[in-house]
Amino acid sequence: MRLRRMLAIARAEWIHNRRDPRSLVVIVVLPVVLLLLFGYGINYDLQHIPFAVYDLDGTEMGRSLIQQFQHSRYFSLREVITDRRRVDVLLDTEEVVFVLVVPPGLGRDLGAGRDAKVQALLNGSDTVRANVALGYIEGAILDYSTKLGIEFARHHGLSGTTPFTVHPIIFYNPGLESDNFIIPGLIVLLLAVLTALLTSTCIVRERELGSFETLVASPATALEIMLGKMLPYAVMAFADVLLCIIAGRLIFGVRVTGNISLLLAISIVFLAASLSIGILFSALARTQRVAIFLAFLGTFLPTVLLSGFVFPLRSMPAALQLISKVIPATHFLVVVRSIYLKASGMAVLWPLVLILAVFAVTLLAIAAKAFKKRI
Amino acid sequence: MSSLAVQARGLSVKFGDVTAVAGLDLDVKEGEIVGLVGPDGAGKTTTMRVLCGILVPDAGEAVVAGHDVLREPDRVKARIGYLPQRFALHPDLTVNENIAYLADLYSVPAGTWQQRRDELLEITDLARFANRQAVQLSGGMQQKLALICTLIHRPEVVFLDEPTTGVDPVSRRDFWHILYDLPRQGVTVVVTTPYMDEAAHCSRIAFMHQGRVLAQDSPAALRAAITARILEVRCRPQRTAREALKRYPTIEGVEVFGDRLRVAVSAEADPAAIRRVLEEAGVTGLDIRESAASLEDVFVALAVGQQSQEDDSRAGEE
Amino acid sequence: MGVAVQVDGLVRKFGDFIAVNEVSFEVREGEIFGFLGPNGSGKSTTIRCLCGLLLPSAGTVAVHGLDVRRHAEEIRAQIGYMPQFFSLYSDLSARQNIEFYAAMYGVPRAGLQQRMGEVCERLELGPIMERPAGNLSTGWRQRLALATSILHRPPLVFLDEPTSGVDPITRRMFWEVIDDLAQDGTTVFVTTHVMDEAEHCTRLAMMHYGRLIAQGSPDEMRSRHAKNMVEVRTGKLWDTLAVLQASDAVVEAVVFGDAIHAECHAALTNPAQTVREVLRSARISVESVAAIQPTMEDVFVSLARRYGHPEHVAAGGDG
Repeated sequence: MRLRRMLAIARAEWIHNRRDPRSLVVIVVLPVVLLLLFGYGINYDLQHIPFAVYDLDGTEMGRSLIQQFQHSRYFSLREVITDRRRVDVLLDTEEVVFVLVVPPGLGRDLGAGRDAKVQALLNGSDTVRANVALGYIEGAILDYSTKLGIEFARHHGLSGTTPFTVHPIIFYNPGLESDNFIIPGLIVLLLAVLTALLTSTCIVRERELGSFETLVASPATALEIMLGKMLPYAVMAFADVLLCIIAGRLIFGVRVTGNISLLLAISIVFLAASLSIGILFSALARTQRVAIFLAFLGTFLPTVLLSGFVFPLRSMPAALQLISKVIPATHFLVVVRSIYLKASGMAVLWPLVLILAVFAVTLLAIAAKAFKKRI
Repeated sequence: MSSLAVQARGLSVKFGDVTAVAGLDLDVKEGEIVGLVGPDGAGKTTTMRVLCGILVPDAGEAVVAGHDVLREPDRVKARIGYLPQRFALHPDLTVNENIAYLADLYSVPAGTWQQRRDELLEITDLARFANRQAVQLSGGMQQKLALICTLIHRPEVVFLDEPTTGVDPVSRRDFWHILYDLPRQGVTVVVTTPYMDEAAHCSRIAFMHQGRVLAQDSPAALRAAITARILEVRCRPQRTAREALKRYPTIEGVEVFGDRLRVAVSAEADPAAIRRVLEEAGVTGLDIRESAASLEDVFVALAVGQQSQEDDSRAGEE
Repeated sequence: MGVAVQVDGLVRKFGDFIAVNEVSFEVREGEIFGFLGPNGSGKSTTIRCLCGLLLPSAGTVAVHGLDVRRHAEEIRAQIGYMPQFFSLYSDLSARQNIEFYAAMYGVPRAGLQQRMGEVCERLELGPIMERPAGNLSTGWRQRLALATSILHRPPLVFLDEPTSGVDPITRRMFWEVIDDLAQDGTTVFVTTHVMDEAEHCTRLAMMHYGRLIAQGSPDEMRSRHAKNMVEVRTGKLWDTLAVLQASDAVVEAVVFGDAIHAECHAALTNPAQTVREVLRSARISVESVAAIQPTMEDVFVSLARRYGHPEHVAAGGDG
């Protein structure tokens, strides 16, 4: 292992990136664009859900229920339907997410002390949105029912109290704002994909250009080549970590509650593992196109689907949970969220850091081995 | 001086069903310029890659610069220089950056190679392009730069794979002038080429055909070894002469050169008899002169000889 | 003898790059005209202008008296053209390719089978007739390409680097076929970057960075442009080389196997004697010094050095 050879390889790679404007796009433009796209695109908090009302009752009771919806910030009334056929049209054209149908005789039933049913016609094509909307609808109806119950009790001279209420105290993300949850995950996703993309072409490009032959004919060892190739990209990826943290704070207002230095230190370990994945693809692929494709699919999909970034790991089948454990991003995601939201320290995080370190060493060894064989 | 810089025994390389190198033996003495000469597909590049330790052969062994290529490839690599057939430098690095990159890769002690670089840049007339990116050089200059990079660590043995293919003749001459300096410094040069006229520059030639070495010797000895004599025949009409000669027994080959025929005849052929044959065929302006065999004559004779041997043995099997 | 091709002041530019610069020459009927020059010297561009595939930026080109600008279609029907790069249909068999070109050039159906038989026999294409052209080795491809370009018996054939990448045995066959064509009265215009192939031609033109630097028969070229070549043999090859290179009498010294070829200054009347004296004063014992014929490469290098290397073409394009 000679430092000078490694640095020579790193310098050549660095110069190449400096002179190729395309690398700048990958290193600077791509993370910012992805951050904006995902930061604004993925949001579980629904507000102003468009809906329509089809009031077949026409009594005071029905109108006050509708008002309850109208005054909520979660809903936004788009149309009061008078023609039955508009229901289908509005749902079909996605102009509204649901139609609230007040059935005939609602006021009469309630007045007579009978149960009354309100109908919600939901567009279920987007299950996440439909679920959230349904939750809000149920909440609003329950709220209204409780209010009615209390009024009814008071009206009959009873003390108007509700039997049970929950008083939640939410830790770590008091406003339950999904940005606080998503932005740290997004940083992990960006780093996982970018690092693999950056390194995925570096060896196969030399193969395509022909300079690969000079490299393998030289006394440089596989490890020197691997590390030399990784070094410039490690620097760039580290700059991207900083970029993401700053952008998260400035654009989305997400703060790191824990120790930023610790976050940066652990991200270096993760970068080593993640860069090795790209190098591995680069050593295996025969063309740059294939390498980029592999790197993107091999990091983007698992990180989005299996790391716990979007879908909670606990609700996955056991087999998938097992697979998720061999993705470095899964562990790094826990680290980043913990430091971001819980201000966790090494006392809690060290097992995860250890796992990441094992990933880094193993992946680098595999990449070096795969590279050696292809000479 | 007489120890061997390269010694290969029974090298074989297969790519799937194709046999690229078939039991090749090669000896190269120190301080020689040896040409591996043969047409495309003869196995020159594959042989060279094996000798440089970047391709593992299916069979055989080789010792290069005192070390076993299979057992100690890294020791071999540190002692040799290799110039691949395809341009193999970084196109976006400048001339100087490429040289520094190679000096670092080969761990040339800092401060000792700059003088060598300046020297080589001077000889190759590349000094004024030192800060130009390699991609912006002409083909001839790129090859000269590649040669400088190959020599910067003062290797003991230099392997050059078709270094002047596609290079203009002037750059090619410049290139050879650099190579001529190497034997004087005790450096051994192994160079491949498909061109017979370029092969003539080498102090020794190994003719390659279908993965084997047909013969290896100095150009003069190779020329002397062929038993056929070459006659230059001028006459009109040329085709009548050609057809008459092809039917005549002691003629081994007839080649057309514009206004004359080069006729390879066996040793016992009688020029007077050949003259009679041509006169009887009715040609005019007949002029016959004896000429020296060219390297291409030698190669063709050897290749045809091997071909007919193989055909015979194949016919014997059937 | 009539003139097959007349070129006057031909210029072809690609943007700022001048690929062909003020080139004039004539090709006579029935000769084998060799167009020599390294890769990138403008040979292919010239040949494309002559075939009417590229329009000249300036100058005139007449083929059989017809101006290429106005009569490109007529000219194309009268010529055979074999491009430098393989341009047959890879998935068609050799036979299908030949039949396709026969149809394109309107070879009469009646004589077609006989003509195909002749050409294929001459180029020994029998074994590969039913194989897809894409699977053939370079040597076979070039033979097939040659077959398609001469099938319609054109009076003028343009061959662009026909022997590039071809083994020596096939190469000899090519030159035999070229000679056959010439004997039958066909004019053959052939480009090559291999200087020793020039010896096969009856007349030559040499290209260097887009300019025509010399033309004439091989013998004329030798006697005009690279006189005073000597072959030197001594026991000490490399020492001798160093001495000759340092000598003022020698323009250039090059190793050829165990001998050295030295080009001496044109002004010397007895170069062999001068070289002997140079070596004697350096205490190198001489085995032999003899005047020799220069090779065509010697001629080219000598001329090219005189013309120099224009700086602006350092990154010049191909062909």
